[in-house]
Amino acid sequence: MSATVDERVTDEVEALEAILMDDVVIKRVNDVPEIIETVVHPSTGDDVDQQFVCITLEVKLTPDYPDSSPEVNLRNPRGLDDQLLSTINSQIKQKLLDCLGQPVVFELIELIRDNLTESNLPSGQCVICLYGFVDGDVFIKTQCYHHFHSHCLANHLIAGKKYYQEELEKLPNWQQMQAPPYQQTCPVCRCPVSCDVDVLKTAPPPVDSVTAPPFCLTAELKALQIKMAALLAKQVAKGGVVGVGDTGPPPLTITSPSDHDNEATNGSSSVAQEGAKSDAIGASTDGASRDAAGEAAPGDPHPQQRRPPPPSAAPLAPARPTTLYPFYPLPTLRCHS
Amino acid sequence: MAALPRRIIKETQRLMQEPVPGISAVPSETNARYFHVIVTGPEDSPFEGGLFKLELFLPEDYPMSAPKVRFITKIYHPNIDRLGRICLDILKDKWSPALQIRTVLLSIQALLSAPNPDDPLANDVAELWKVNEGEAIRNAKEWTRRYAMDN
Repeated sequence: MSATVDERVTDEVEALEAILMDDVVIKRVNDVPEIIETVVHPSTGDDVDQQFVCITLEVKLTPDYPDSSPEVNLRNPRGLDDQLLSTINSQIKQKLLDCLGQPVVFELIELIRDNLTESNLPSGQCVICLYGFVDGDVFIKTQCYHHFHSHCLANHLIAGKKYYQEELEKLPNWQQMQAPPYQQTCPVCRCPVSCDVDVLKTAPPPVDSVTAPPFCLTAELKALQIKMAALLAKQVAKGGVVGVGDTGPPPLTITSPSDHDNEATNGSSSVAQEGAKSDAIGASTDGASRDAAGEAAPGDPHPQQRRPPPPSAAPLAPARPTTLYPFYPLPTLRCHS
Repeated sequence: MAALPRRIIKETQRLMQEPVPGISAVPSETNARYFHVIVTGPEDSPFEGGLFKLELFLPEDYPMSAPKVRFITKIYHPNIDRLGRICLDILKDKWSPALQIRTVLLSIQALLSAPNPDDPLANDVAELWKVNEGEAIRNAKEWTRRYAMDN
């Protein structure tokens, strides 16, 4: 293939490289420019810290570009919601039509940049708390352009480090020596990040997450619960539930239905609360093993906090002595590591 | 016990308002962190037609640590052991707070479609899955029919 390139294209590519320098990537095949790629940011002077959104623009040149429109793709939007993306996309379509016959890449960059400059605030929600960014919130933008409330990201990083330490301590000494050092990662894309946790954690919790309305079960939820309980009762009866029947593992603790009944009947609401508390603690410490044995039984995971069931609606109660297993009796299940 | 974090309330509401096809998760009456879950066996898998019951518990520091999930219904699968425990990286070291109850359950459903005998939790099942896949799949279908069918 001969490398005769339209002069308009050569001029455009030269100009792009001269102006954008390292910020533009031109992919060539046999010296013919085929793909132009650049990350577009909002205009904030030179203040990179004030850029909260960005997007990658990819322009694939057709053989007879600019007499035909190039193929334009927007990739890796950061801090931009779907509505803004579709606005930008339709403006691009119009621009391509308007500019047929002349180089269009600069026009596209400008068009996108104008849109980003106008919406230079993260839209959408913090994926950690699932609440948006509102007045009074303190948030952070990672190097990979993902946004979190500083408070939320601090919690993630603290928990991540703690998990790393715990896992590390389970390894034999020689493996501990070889283990890669702890690396903070972005919750969304797992890219390495480096943040000062001590600074982040001084931020207040997200404004919207402070007041929690009490949780209550709807009629719909209750109906679903009854349906599920009925299904479970059926499966228990058929021996299809883990720990029931002869294929189950050796028992760790044996209890009988009458024990359950006693506990349930005696359980005042404060006892129920205690039960819930110890459950949460037991389950969060993975290695609690045998001590936590009472907290998860097939079909009856929290016997301590069950209220006495009405006689007609007790499908969750096992029909015969049940074997209780800890929720996660083994401290580690290392997979895919 | 501290008040239920709003994230959990929000997730619960969304699970009801926009349910994931083939998955239902309902909080327990007595503990809003404990969910009764049913995952339907994916089409074109040996688990098709099965209704699998799971339990899911959101630990105190959720979403900073992963939910605890296990199968309650018996299932013949190389990555799920006899205790119903699941070998899935996102439940352990690949957990991220950007994941949610719904994404976890979707991943588990996907694991049913794509058993991975090279990374086994149930060794005997994985062994058979590698040596004689046909028989393993027959076993999985039989277990599904015997334990997980709603009839």
